[in-house]
Amino acid sequence: MSQTAAAPQAASPPPTPAAALAPAPAPAPSYVDTPALLNRWQLIGMSVAIVFGILSALVQFSSWNADGRAADDTDQLVRIQNIQSSLFRADALATNAFLVGGLENTEQRGEYNREIKSVLSNIAAAANAQPADSHVLADLNKLVDDYTTSIAQARAINRQGFPVGAAYQTLASNKLRTEGVPMLTALVKANTDRADSAMGGQHPFWLLFIGIAALVGLFWLNRELGRAFRRRINKGLAFAAIVVLVVTLVSVAGAWIRASANDSLRSGKFHDAVASATARTAANDAKANESLRLIKRGSGAQNEADWGKDAALVEKNAPSRYLSDWHVYTAQHAQIVKLDDGNNWDGAVALATKVDKNDAFAKFDAHLAAEVDQARTSAIDDLESGRWLAVTLSALTLLLGVAAAIGVARGIGERRREFS
Amino acid sequence: MSRMRSRGLLMSAAAGLLALSACSYAETVVPKPKETTSTAPAAATCKTTAADLRSYDPNRSGGPAVSRIRKAGVLKIGVSADTLLLGARNPSTNKIEGFDIDIALRIASELGVKPQLRVINAADRIPLLQSHAIDIVVRNMTINCARWEQIAFSAEYYHAGQKVMLRSDLAATYQGPQSLAHVKVCAPAGTTSIDNIRKIEKDAEAETADTHTGCLVKFQQGQVDAITGDDTVLAGLVAQDHIYAAVPEQKALTDEPYGVGVNAGDKDLVAFVNAVLQQMRSDGSWQKSYDKWLRPSLKVDPATFQPQYGRP
Repeated sequence: MSQTAAAPQAASPPPTPAAALAPAPAPAPSYVDTPALLNRWQLIGMSVAIVFGILSALVQFSSWNADGRAADDTDQLVRIQNIQSSLFRADALATNAFLVGGLENTEQRGEYNREIKSVLSNIAAAANAQPADSHVLADLNKLVDDYTTSIAQARAINRQGFPVGAAYQTLASNKLRTEGVPMLTALVKANTDRADSAMGGQHPFWLLFIGIAALVGLFWLNRELGRAFRRRINKGLAFAAIVVLVVTLVSVAGAWIRASANDSLRSGKFHDAVASATARTAANDAKANESLRLIKRGSGAQNEADWGKDAALVEKNAPSRYLSDWHVYTAQHAQIVKLDDGNNWDGAVALATKVDKNDAFAKFDAHLAAEVDQARTSAIDDLESGRWLAVTLSALTLLLGVAAAIGVARGIGERRREFS
Repeated sequence: MSRMRSRGLLMSAAAGLLALSACSYAETVVPKPKETTSTAPAAATCKTTAADLRSYDPNRSGGPAVSRIRKAGVLKIGVSADTLLLGARNPSTNKIEGFDIDIALRIASELGVKPQLRVINAADRIPLLQSHAIDIVVRNMTINCARWEQIAFSAEYYHAGQKVMLRSDLAATYQGPQSLAHVKVCAPAGTTSIDNIRKIEKDAEAETADTHTGCLVKFQQGQVDAITGDDTVLAGLVAQDHIYAAVPEQKALTDEPYGVGVNAGDKDLVAFVNAVLQQMRSDGSWQKSYDKWLRPSLKVDPATFQPQYGRP
């Protein structure tokens, strides 16, 4: 550092009062008001450091916030998908129970009640978690209420032996698909987009840009000071520049690491959670379509086509390690279709409604439910775990910005003392 | 000045970033469904006369169609599963039963083959017969000239008529279709039943459902006040809601002679079916079936009818 004392060249004597009172406008004085200039430079330098601190801290705070939102949005997305899976599982159980004829299986009835309870509590939790979904969730809640009412009415009428019970059952299942599916699809899409966008909330380039802009500002100031005082480097400005440089490098590296981690999450655990939930929903819709096909006794061609679409979705989205159970079920479905087409409707129904503790479909459903839960927890943990870094760096950046500003003030203050 | 400018700049930057980091979610919107339009049935291009009730002469000797069915070992029959008394699923046994089903099962039995009951909607009846996806339809199907142009019919096996079922309070004051002004009346989509009422009372409000049972759901949910259809069908609906629904004493708006629907080319099968129907009437099984299914609800003797034959 070369800071030897030397008389500043820019200093000129102040104007006399007589000159100030001259009647005619005098030409502009050829001197520079050094204290005022130093004040201005000090203000500019401190502003650069403070603005850097605030902007950089806010960008990091925004990234911290984005990761939090990504975790919340992922949680909401899985919650919505669980609503969807549970609703179709409930419908599969209701249509299956309807097919049996006579007294329904009490275990399946209990499972239906548990699924509906899960749907209702998840709707309440989802409405609480994301106000932007609340209007659609209110409509969905009404639809579930109508659905359960129609199913209850279908059961009560069935027990009296009247065919209008079947109409209530069909009405409920159709309404679920024609009105409920568009709502659930819209909710899944909105929350997927939100989670996806929030995971892209890391901004290493913004941080780099802010840091470079602050460094350019400090460099310019140092050059102006150097010209005026014949010094190459001002200690205070150098300290501020080092602080800005280090903070920029650390925050850019942190944001870049988080951005890469989020990219991996998007194609990893987040994708797994969404894919498994999609597979589970499709599997349960397939099971319900199987029952609806049999309920329609020979006129369920559309349900069979829908079953095919659901099966393709399961194959595409379910983790391959669970597909063996699914394939046991699809083989059973093929047998059901063969029996039904071969004029053995009773045999087809017996196979479709067989209650078996080792039922491959139930195992597949349970595996997928556990998989969705695990992938969701893991994705959320990943998003939450890195947030401390962003928020700590954000607070530290703000403090270091203040420290850099103090450095600038002291550095320029030293010149002021030299001048006076 | 410069201090004020810097402060202003600082505050705008901070406000901008705060807005950036704030949670501002766009509300979730469900896309509006595309509107579907239902098509009204085409007006008949012919007028049904007594000659249209003529079917082929009864004959058990069979032909290509009967041979085809016997070879397959199965008679594919289009039926209803939600028309109580005529063809409906019994929820406790899972069997489809009713007056139409008795007739269908007897035809299969006389052919010596297994019956395969396929549940179909009214709109499916003619296309499925034409494509040979089913062999016969026994599903309260009315014989008329327009249908004769597409398929063949057996001789009449039951004579029904279009009537109106109402809420029990409205039934108490019912004088005829003229009492249906501003009353919501339901009939299955694709049928002409509502038009028959509107010819008399243009202010009757039409509502549709997929089937008559769908109409009963709407009736029970308070969306409609009345249902129109064949007296046999309405009797089945009343039986499911006998406190709140009633079919008041009334003259039938139309004649609905029921026949068994068959593919137009299967004349030998029509002749065979006519022979079976003739036998059912003569051996008392037709009457037995009527007494079991329809008499308890209709509470009257069956309308008299004479099966007509001699179609060339």
